[in-house]
Amino acid sequence: MEIKTTGVAGTLESSDIQIMISKGSNGIEIDLDSEVKKAYGDQIEKVITDTLKKYGLDNVKVKATDKGALDCVIKARTLAAAQRATETSDKPELEVL
Amino acid sequence: MDKVVDLYLSQPTTRKKWKEFLEKLGLHDFSDREIDVIDHTLGLIDEDGKLVGTGSIAGNVLKYIGVCNEDATSGARFNKIVTALQQYLFNEGKFHSFVFTKEKYSSSFQHLSFSELAHTEQAAFLESGNPNVDDYLNSLPQIPNQDNKKIAAIVMNANPFTLGHRHLVEMASQENDLIYVFVVATDLSLFKTKERMMLVQEGLSDLKNVKVVSGGDYMVSSATFPAYFLQSPKDLIDTQTEIDARVFKNIIAPKLNITRRYLGKEPISITTHYYNVSLAHELGPDIEVIITPRYQVEGQLVTATQVRKDIKEGNLTEIAKFVPKTTYDYINDNLLKLQDRIKKGMKIDGN
Repeated sequence: MEIKTTGVAGTLESSDIQIMISKGSNGIEIDLDSEVKKAYGDQIEKVITDTLKKYGLDNVKVKATDKGALDCVIKARTLAAAQRATETSDKPELEVL
Repeated sequence: MDKVVDLYLSQPTTRKKWKEFLEKLGLHDFSDREIDVIDHTLGLIDEDGKLVGTGSIAGNVLKYIGVCNEDATSGARFNKIVTALQQYLFNEGKFHSFVFTKEKYSSSFQHLSFSELAHTEQAAFLESGNPNVDDYLNSLPQIPNQDNKKIAAIVMNANPFTLGHRHLVEMASQENDLIYVFVVATDLSLFKTKERMMLVQEGLSDLKNVKVVSGGDYMVSSATFPAYFLQSPKDLIDTQTEIDARVFKNIIAPKLNITRRYLGKEPISITTHYYNVSLAHELGPDIEVIITPRYQVEGQLVTATQVRKDIKEGNLTEIAKFVPKTTYDYINDNLLKLQDRIKKGMKIDGN
């Protein structure tokens, strides 16, 4: 899967996460901003990484701004951002979820 | 639940309501200079239809953000309006945005993953998204062993590139190993950014140790710096200069090992003279500021302002005296187009 543009999904409101995905060259690089990074940072990054890998993306720059999102939200937002970045929103692979 | 709505400031009643709301929050400059550049304005209304928040977009800059936190969770409305503004930009395909704000609100934006580029006592300048300042700096060309070389920088708008600019760069080129010429990227001048960039490149192509690069969004010019949250016009120029100088000194210069900056002495405009002096004050002692006298031809000062006046009057023989051949050829080929822009209201007496 090839990243064609920058893709964003999610908001900065409470219980949500905003994911911005753009082309990377050095594996999956995640820049996570979260109030609960100490406790849940690893878990959040794992959910993002797993979702991207399932979608077939290996070289990605991710900027994630978390406002206390649950795993299902993180997955959904990551998937939506990935679809927008790869311009495949019209044929979503929902089985990734 | 609060609802995000579009506000159309061209409607007098909307504009009045919007203005009164922001005035209550302590914003006060609603001059055309600030408002005319706004592309879009959003409002936040509560269940009773009362305006409780607003924010605007001008290019890739967020402006006039204000929220009322009465009867609401602290921060919720602010987050909502900033998100809505960012969504608007994303839909426009803009993933990189900036905000100039009061220093005390810097941390609120940092909570929303903005990163601070510079701050002064009064103001802060932040960016969000990508490509960010690191991507910008990584995109600039470097030479081997740059850390041990003498590197200088010149920032210019070059509207258009004259023999004066050329003279300044030549001088710097002889005194240093490498010169970065940063061309201001803001597109508010008679010559478009692309044209200015091209003329600078062509005019300096013979100097091997000169790299002409775009200033990106990181050369803070008075044209883009908003005044609405500052106290007075004098604060504006002070704050803009400080922010500009600090971004340069703390972020751009260290990465490229720039230790000198060259400026042309300003003989006419008091504002620019004042800017030069305070820039020197802000950049020192880490960065040596070298102010050189203006280049003269036949006893006349070479200024881009004069060249623009001559363009307006179609005075090609005068222009030939002040600009290199590359610039002259371009003006000669495009004289009507340039004059047309002036006729359509492009101001030529500024910078």
